[in-house]
Amino acid sequence: MGLRQDIILQPISELSIREAITLGPEATVRECADQMRRHKLGCVVVVDSEGKPVGKFTERLLMKFLVDHSHSLDEPVKGFMYQESNSMKESDTIARLLARMRTKMLRFVPVVDDAGKVIGLTGQKGLIEYIAEHFPRQVKTRELKSKLFMDQREGA
Amino acid sequence: MKRKRRDAPPGDFQDPLSNYDPPIYADDMEKSLCEDSILDLKTTPFRTVSPDMKVCDAIKLMVEIDVACLLVTEGDKLLGIFSERDVLNKVTQDFDIASQKPIGQVMTQDPMAVYETDTPADALNIMATAGFRHIPVLDVDDKVVGILGPRRITAYLQHYFE
Repeated sequence: MGLRQDIILQPISELSIREAITLGPEATVRECADQMRRHKLGCVVVVDSEGKPVGKFTERLLMKFLVDHSHSLDEPVKGFMYQESNSMKESDTIARLLARMRTKMLRFVPVVDDAGKVIGLTGQKGLIEYIAEHFPRQVKTRELKSKLFMDQREGA
Repeated sequence: MKRKRRDAPPGDFQDPLSNYDPPIYADDMEKSLCEDSILDLKTTPFRTVSPDMKVCDAIKLMVEIDVACLLVTEGDKLLGIFSERDVLNKVTQDFDIASQKPIGQVMTQDPMAVYETDTPADALNIMATAGFRHIPVLDVDDKVVGILGPRRITAYLQHYFE
């Protein structure tokens, strides 16, 4: 089977699913930023008391927040988050995820179980790693600062 | 003096490509990823800024033009990338002081780049292995000619499913 067929048939569980950062809606924007920095992850999934997603706070929203000087970092995130989490189930296909990410311009997609509780996070990074695994021969061996072309020709 | 071209003795010639097995791809999508040029993807527009720009101005510009990173250049030379992740890691904690610094002090220096002759699979592998979301695209003279990010890659992949 080729990559296209794999993407059409395989479920999201085949992607690398990262542990999601989950916080309640009363958590502050500062707490969200601290957690994102600590976990090296650009998204916090905001969940209700049952662990079901009610929103998302991302690096992009943090940028907008910083530009707008009228709010304090200590205000609750519920006033600044995306109200829709756009979560998907592990059993949904990767093709469906790709289409959802493209049409809704998503970077992060929370993954939920059958009860709707957050069990992880995937998105652009998971998809890129999945595709890259199909092309191990292409892994770059070029050193970081090496040049592809020489400045001067070698030899006589 | 013009030399006469000698014909190779019959039977001596060995085709150096006679043992070459061209790669076999399972579908068009795999072939495109491995054989297209980076320039077959959308790599423009991109925005370059000077390393002297203030962090607060850079953040404002990124929000205004809706981009996740800026390429920091001096003349044609790429010095670094200033991204949302740099803001999260180096600016948010101490925003009042850090936002007044020049981005040259906060940017990610010497980012990994791809050349316009590389393939989309090359770029994907750099993203996956090095963990960068945005990769500058350079020409033969190391001049920045574009930038590749996940949103442009998903757009490129999506047309195989329409």
